Amino acid sequence: MKVTNNGGCRVTPLIAVTVASILLAACATVPVEPVGAAAARNNLTQLQSDPNLATRAPQAVAEADAAVRVAEQPEEDKDLVAYRVYMADRKVEVARAQAQTRFAEDQRVLITAQREQARLDARTREANVAEGQVAQARAEGAEQKVAAQQARSDADTAQQAAAAATQQAAASSQQAAASNQQAAAASQQAAELQLQVAALQAKPTDRGLVLTLSGVLFANGNADLSPSASGGNLDKLVAFLNKYPDRTVAIEGYTDNRGNSDYNLGLSQRRADTVRAYLTNQGISAVRVSSTGKGASDPVAGNDTASGRQQNRRVEVIISDPPSTSR
Amino acid sequence: MNVFHSHHILRLRPAGIAGLLMLTACASVPPAPTANLQAAQQAIATAERADAGRYASAELGEARFELTAANTAVSQQHMISAERLANESRVEAELSSAKTAYVKAKAVNDEMTNSTGTLIQEMQRSSGDKP
Repeated sequence: MKVTNNGGCRVTPLIAVTVASILLAACATVPVEPVGAAAARNNLTQLQSDPNLATRAPQAVAEADAAVRVAEQPEEDKDLVAYRVYMADRKVEVARAQAQTRFAEDQRVLITAQREQARLDARTREANVAEGQVAQARAEGAEQKVAAQQARSDADTAQQAAAAATQQAAASSQQAAASNQQAAAASQQAAELQLQVAALQAKPTDRGLVLTLSGVLFANGNADLSPSASGGNLDKLVAFLNKYPDRTVAIEGYTDNRGNSDYNLGLSQRRADTVRAYLTNQGISAVRVSSTGKGASDPVAGNDTASGRQQNRRVEVIISDPPSTSR
Repeated sequence: MNVFHSHHILRLRPAGIAGLLMLTACASVPPAPTANLQAAQQAIATAERADAGRYASAELGEARFELTAANTAVSQQHMISAERLANESRVEAELSSAKTAYVKAKAVNDEMTNSTGTLIQEMQRSSGDKP
């Protein structure tokens, strides 16, 4: 193509088309909001408008805001959009947790003040009781001059008793604090146990126990990852299968709804195969483990948010009931 | 204005193409995102030291998985994926640390509030007994 620089009156059709398409492209990309970015922005706005949290983690909030801005930029590459939205979402959560921590720390001043006030009240009341006793003893002493000395010693005794009572109160509140600590430790242990049970996430269904391996087991569009990184979950499953040798497992891979369905079917199959390979490598007999790819079917969460898609990118392990009880 | 634009684009075009070629050349042999991987590793180590395995184990597990995924991506020469996974791992580990700090701070507050409540109860009981 020959370009002439003669004042720019001759615009060839090709140039016109190029310009038009660039203008069109510019117009088309502006209104396209990356999927999931709005949810991240919403979370951030919520955090920023919470009077208890808004100003308590300024650095983290600024970083979250920057990440949300990046996520909001129009972008064609879906993987890049998902990555940006993920980063934005997490940074908002980091900011929220930091602000909550700071708020809790700030609350301590208030709690300590309340405790000191309670302590002071307790001492004041004890002192008042003791004073009342002393005054009573004095009055009696004035009326019965003969028993004046006796009354005084009564008063002393009362004072001593009051002092002893104060000491007892202090001791028993110490004991109460100790037993509180024990109770807290016990409830923490119970909570931990609950956490571990919840971590395995095996739900009883009519197909058997269903264990969902969620989290980012696989990168977007990737099935070739070492499943050892799923840490406890798969190892717990291996331990479970070793303990109950009559159980078999069906592994089903799922994807989110991005990409075409054939690709997703293949990808979910490869993901299920990866988990199966992990189990057989750990010594579970291959005949006990089957694997299927289910693609984007049966989503467990909405595909319109990053976290929803993350939940949908999963592998479900269906642990069969033992043959004796299965129908 | 139209004319100005078209000239502008024409002048830029060769430079743009050269830039694209250079980018493509770079993309074929990209360096591993070493700094990102190290940052993720460090963030995980920090979370582990804070006992995040106990208080925010889901996030810590995810961070570890993503780091492994990043390393796998490096070995497969998927450097863009590797860098993103490394960054995801790092932010997930940071989230794990942040949640752990919150759970701990809240536990301290709950304990303090409880003991104050006990003190008040104790006080009411002892002052009620005396008269």
